[in-house]
Amino acid sequence: MTTTFRVKVNGQHELTVDPSEGTLLEAMEAANIDTHYHCRDGFCGACRTKLVSGDVYYINEPLAFVRPGDCLPCCCVPASDLDLDH
Amino acid sequence: MSYSTFNKNQINPLTEPMFFGNSVNVARYDQQKHSIFEKLIEKQISFFWRPEEVDVSRDRVDFNNLTSAEKHIFISNLKYQTLLDSVQGRSPNIALLPIVSIPELETWIETWSFFETIHSRSYTHILRNLFTDPSEVFEDIVINEEIQKRANDISQYYDDLIFYTQLWQTHGEGEIEVHGEVHNVTMRELKKKLFLCINSVNALEAIRFYVSFACTFAFAERDLMEGNSKIIRLIARDENLHLVSTQQILNLWQYGSDDPEMKEIAEELREEALAIFMKAVEQEKEWAHYLFRDGSMIGLNEEILCQYVEYIANLRMEAIGFDAPFKQRSNPLPWMNKYLVSDNVQVAPQEAEISSYLVGQIDSQVSASDLGDFDL
Ligand code: FES
Ligand SMILES: [Fe+2]
Ligand SMILES: [Fe+2]
Repeated sequence: MTTTFRVKVNGQHELTVDPSEGTLLEAMEAANIDTHYHCRDGFCGACRTKLVSGDVYYINEPLAFVRPGDCLPCCCVPASDLDLDH
Repeated sequence: MSYSTFNKNQINPLTEPMFFGNSVNVARYDQQKHSIFEKLIEKQISFFWRPEEVDVSRDRVDFNNLTSAEKHIFISNLKYQTLLDSVQGRSPNIALLPIVSIPELETWIETWSFFETIHSRSYTHILRNLFTDPSEVFEDIVINEEIQKRANDISQYYDDLIFYTQLWQTHGEGEIEVHGEVHNVTMRELKKKLFLCINSVNALEAIRFYVSFACTFAFAERDLMEGNSKIIRLIARDENLHLVSTQQILNLWQYGSDDPEMKEIAEELREEALAIFMKAVEQEKEWAHYLFRDGSMIGLNEEILCQYVEYIANLRMEAIGFDAPFKQRSNPLPWMNKYLVSDNVQVAPQEAEISSYLVGQIDSQVSASDLGDFDL
C-alpha cells in the first residue's frame, strides 16, 4: 500500500503523486507541465518553486539556498498535499 | 588591520562572521559555522576534470566549415569567456582571502578560483587546436572594445574592494590620502564595498556566461564543435556551483544568519544591487547584438537570445530576493536544459562516439596547410 498526495501546480493542474516514484520535478514532467530546471541535482536553484502550502521531504540535501516559502522540486518529494507555484 | 598568515590569537571560528572578523588561523573542517561551504568544496572537487581529457581535434574541421558570421560568434564568445575566467581565476583569492574569517569559506574561495583556472586552461586547449598560433585571439581580448566595456564592469567592484582593504590593512580606519585623493576608510564602507562586489560577482556567475553557452550548445545541436561543447558543459556545471555559493553568501546576509551589519547594508544598498544585476542583463543583450552583427546562426538569433537572458535573469533574481523583472517566464531555448543537466555531463547520448573523449591525449600539432586559407 502506498501513500499518495494531491499536488496542485500553478492553480490549474491537479496531480496525484506517489513519493516513492521519483522527484516532484519528475511528477510535474509526467503531467506535461512546462518545468524549469538545469542541474536536476539540487545545486543550481533553477527549479525553484513557491511552496504555497504543504511540506516536502528532500531525498538529496540541496546545495542551493532554499528561501523560506520555496522548494527545489528536483531533489524533493511531497510529504503532504501540496500547492505549488512553479 | 594588518593581515597575518597565521593569526596567533585564540579565536572561535564558529562565532566569526564570514568576512571582516578575525583572520583564519587553523584550516579545520571538523566543525563549521556555515557547513554549506564545506559541502560546496566536496561537490566541486568531485567534479574535477582536465581539459586535456577532452579531444577537441575534430572541431577544427567543423570550424573551417563555419560561415564567417558563425566564426565570429564562436571566437568572440571564447574571447569573452577567457576574459571572465581570467578575472575569476584570481579575483576571489585576491579580494576575498584577506578578509575572510571562517576556514570552510576560505577553502571554498580557493577551490572556486582554482576551478576557474581550469576553465582558462581549457580555452587555450580549444584555441590551440583551432589555430597554429592563437596569439591574435588572446591579444584581441585587451583591445576589443566590446570586451573592454564588460571588463570594466566586472573588475571595478573587485578593484575597489581590494584597494580599500589594502588601505585598511596598512593604515586602519580613518581618512587616508593617496596621490592627493582622500579616502574615508571605515568598516561600514568596507562592508558596503564587499556587498557590492559579491553582487557583481553573483551577476557574473548568474548570467554572464549564458549567451556564450547558448551559442555553444546551438552548435552542438547541429552536431558541430562537439569537443568544445563537451568542455563548456563541464564549465557550465562548475559555474552553477559558483553561482550557488554567491547566492548563499547574499542570502545568509539578508536573512541575518551571519553579520547583522551586513543585513542592514543589504537593505540599504538593495537598489544598487538591483542596478548591478540589471546592467549585467543589458550588457549581455548588447553582447548578443554584437555576436550577430554579421548574421545569425541556425537555431539562434539576437531576439531569442535576449529572451533567454531575460528568462535566466528572472530565475537568478528571484533566488536572491528580487521580483522577477521580465515578462519572459517560459524557456525560449528548451534544448539548453539537456546540456545543463549535471548527470548528462558524463554520459551524454552524443558520447556514443567515444573517440571524442580520449583521456590524456591531444594532438596539438597543426600545420599551416591544415588551416587552409581562412581569415581570423
Ligand atoms: S534543477 Fe538545479 S536545483 Fe533543481
Ligand atoms: Fe569559470
Ligand atoms: Fe565561475
